[in-house]
Amino acid sequence: MQKFKVTFLPDNLSVAVEKDKTILAAAISAGVYINSNCAGDGICGRCKVIVNQGQVHSQPNGIITAQEKKNNVYLACLTTIHSDLEVLIPDSSRINFDKLTPEELEERLSGLYSKAEDIQSVKAKFQDKVFKHSPFATKLYLELPQPTLNDSISDLERLYRALRSFGEFPVVATGLFNIRQLGELLRDYAWKVTVTLGRRNDAVEIVLIEPNDTTARNFGLCFDIGTTTISGQLINLNSKKILGTKATYNQQAAFGSDVITRIVYAAKTDGLEKLHNAVSDTMNQIIKDLVSEHKVSLFDVNCIVCSGNTTMIHLFLSMDPAHIRREPYVPTANFLPVLRAAEAGININPRGLLSCVPGVSSYVGGDTTAGVLSSGIYQKEEPCILIDIGTNGEIVLGNRDFLVACAASAGPAFEGSGVTSGMRASSGAIQKVSINKNDFSVKYSTIQNKLPRGICGSGYIDLLSEMLESGIIDKGGKIKAAGKRIRSTDNGVEFVVCFKEEIQAQADIVINEADIENLKRSKGAIYSATAILVKHLALEFSAISKIFIAGGFGTYLDIEKAINIGLLPDLERSKFVFIGNSSLAGSREILLSSQAMAMADALASKITYFELSVDPGYMEEYSQALFFPHTDLTKFPTVKF
Amino acid sequence: METQLVLEKWQGVISTVIIGAKKEEGGSRSDTVKIGGQITMPLLFKEGATPNKPRIAFEISDIAPFDFDEELIATYGKAVNDPFAWADICVNEYKAGLLCLKMQGTHPDFGNKSPESAAKFISALLSKVKVPLIIIGSGDDAKDNLIMPACSEAARGERCLIGCAVQDNYKTLVASVLADGHSIIAESPIDINIAKQLNILISDMGLSLERIVINPTIGALGYGLEYAYSIMERARLAALSGDKTLASPFICFVAQEAWKTKEAKASSQQGIIWETLTATSLIQSGADLLVMRHPKAGQNVSNYIEALFKG
Repeated sequence: MQKFKVTFLPDNLSVAVEKDKTILAAAISAGVYINSNCAGDGICGRCKVIVNQGQVHSQPNGIITAQEKKNNVYLACLTTIHSDLEVLIPDSSRINFDKLTPEELEERLSGLYSKAEDIQSVKAKFQDKVFKHSPFATKLYLELPQPTLNDSISDLERLYRALRSFGEFPVVATGLFNIRQLGELLRDYAWKVTVTLGRRNDAVEIVLIEPNDTTARNFGLCFDIGTTTISGQLINLNSKKILGTKATYNQQAAFGSDVITRIVYAAKTDGLEKLHNAVSDTMNQIIKDLVSEHKVSLFDVNCIVCSGNTTMIHLFLSMDPAHIRREPYVPTANFLPVLRAAEAGININPRGLLSCVPGVSSYVGGDTTAGVLSSGIYQKEEPCILIDIGTNGEIVLGNRDFLVACAASAGPAFEGSGVTSGMRASSGAIQKVSINKNDFSVKYSTIQNKLPRGICGSGYIDLLSEMLESGIIDKGGKIKAAGKRIRSTDNGVEFVVCFKEEIQAQADIVINEADIENLKRSKGAIYSATAILVKHLALEFSAISKIFIAGGFGTYLDIEKAINIGLLPDLERSKFVFIGNSSLAGSREILLSSQAMAMADALASKITYFELSVDPGYMEEYSQALFFPHTDLTKFPTVKF
Repeated sequence: METQLVLEKWQGVISTVIIGAKKEEGGSRSDTVKIGGQITMPLLFKEGATPNKPRIAFEISDIAPFDFDEELIATYGKAVNDPFAWADICVNEYKAGLLCLKMQGTHPDFGNKSPESAAKFISALLSKVKVPLIIIGSGDDAKDNLIMPACSEAARGERCLIGCAVQDNYKTLVASVLADGHSIIAESPIDINIAKQLNILISDMGLSLERIVINPTIGALGYGLEYAYSIMERARLAALSGDKTLASPFICFVAQEAWKTKEAKASSQQGIIWETLTATSLIQSGADLLVMRHPKAGQNVSNYIEALFKG
């Protein structure tokens, strides 16, 4: 087979690929990341590249304009390679894998920006936790008595006997690796060793035997594997202190922006392997950065706890996710035994343990279980709601007596995908907007105060609310006003948020009627799923005592505006509590306490999964929610515009 | 022992819409037509007042209609080519109390009449015919947005009922109706939520809910009538329970659906029966205004209404 050399600029990375491969496939082989929300189906139009040199064939599509064609712009996914190529990837098509800045992280993981000052801080919420400190991995220092003719039990028995003096450990496994080196180790180091004990569900394993006293160096990791963002924390298991937190984008984004596209991609040749590598590479990079920054040896990191939605966990562990997508939507596993981290390609101590927070169903995963755990709604007397807003929104309703969860496929609009000027909540994303009611001029603030590059979810919420209040759009989401910022295009009427001249960009930042329709469906899905759940349990919204809002997106949420557009129910503002990344917080608790781990298991079994698609009332509820704020205005008495 | 009737008491009331304005009201109509005002589900006279009977509007068109059955053409004869003569037959011969004029000739494919000529036509018709008027656009959104403001202006002060506003195209029509003192027809595709949303959108523009008549879109007997029936019933239940945004009277375009059916095309008698049955069924579900074509069907339905309301 003939091979061609493809060079990607500006990275200046080359790869040899077979004729007829797409540019997108070549980019993936070269390790260059091009935006591809639709995973190469030629729909999203995010993978535009410029072919500087060489011959290509491109399938016709409605995305590339005549002007772009003249400038040699092609869709990477629909364009095949027919000679050596030089391809330029413009900024707009690159995935920005920059790490989140400390400020962004602060906001994303714990803080919030909101007018509602009275919302209690996340930290205070987590301080009254009740779980006993008993980390996933514990180190014990032992000084064994030397064997004599009178005390001649074997080395291993001797070790067990010493361990028993600490308590009745049902040690089930020690590992041949440990036993093989045991005799020499004990004698070389004067019978002074440190044993790392790990919990494997109900039993205990000797993970590692090391010379001398290393009990001071006992570290663990917790991770939230999100569809969009992966966050990890390094924890000192002795002091419970968080040493460091890092987050970065999930490199799987190159294979599609939502779980369904990724499941489809996993079925392709080597698809599952590529997806698995993308997530483990991302995690290993975070781990590497964390340990080197905090001067911890990888060898002293003994365990890791991960939470993520069911699909993410499947891909992380290279389990086939195909049946998650097909009726009757059955995952390979919800409860996973404790594994060795190395089996999942995670680089910590080679014998280190890995636990995944158990999930409830195909669409309610361990991230939700961890969220329930860390929000504490399972302890509350009054019914509470946990809303995790993401591409696949999860909603849990319950209290100490019952927990019911459902998943609402809200679509990626609030994560900045599938909308004209959408982007993820990263540097340069418009996150706050206000519009002057007289001349429709727009004031905005961006993440890190950079020049705006696009609009992220919280920016869209603000924008919609402001457009409604200033009368630019009607309650149906149609643009009704006129002005210099409003114009008709081939894609319908649009409102210009930033003109390209003022932001030094190639294109204006706009929102059009199709975008508004998309956002309306997203918010409608979240609201109606919440409403159905409440209705299904014969409750009223007024009976709900707290609404916990979680998710990377949720941390930027302006509650007032989210209610204005009908994303959240119109309740007293003091009922809303932002809890940031509840999934990461939950996995940290599990890392630090066997009680929390047992609780997570119990919760995952206890949570009842409610399938929305079989509820006869859902479509009705959903169509009612396709209006700003809602077709039944009496449900939003405080919203006035 | 006498049986005690269980009576439902509702808190809502359907708004009363007046069509037509007499001289003292600033118009030139000989009479006005009131619809709506019920405080009960249809025909449950014991539960609450139904102050206004359902009314029939005869459908006419500004050009010879292309979707009229042979039987209908035969009935009106040459008059279908002359809207003034046609209107005259409806009013004087068939005693129509209300006319529903479709501006078919303004459609780009069926004459493409200009706004000026449409306006002139409306003025001429209003001076020749004295019953209240319903004016309907041709159904081409872009063209209707040019034509309907002209028609509305030509009929200023006559308190016509003008339609149809739809979710994707309502602003121009609402603005005209508001300026010229008419009422509006809000059309939704057999969907209670869209009906409600459209009413909210229209009232957000400043046209009061009391000037809206809902066209719920109907199907003829055997062709989806029951869908329309239950949507109307649900809307009415909501309205009587206090939802003001759904408390509008209904207009049902009976004839255009009934005469489309295979049965109606099979024989002239069958067509009349189909139109009659579709109309009478819809009265049961709360129709306030029935747009009809065949005089015999009109007479049947009229008799039926009289019989129902005799008590």
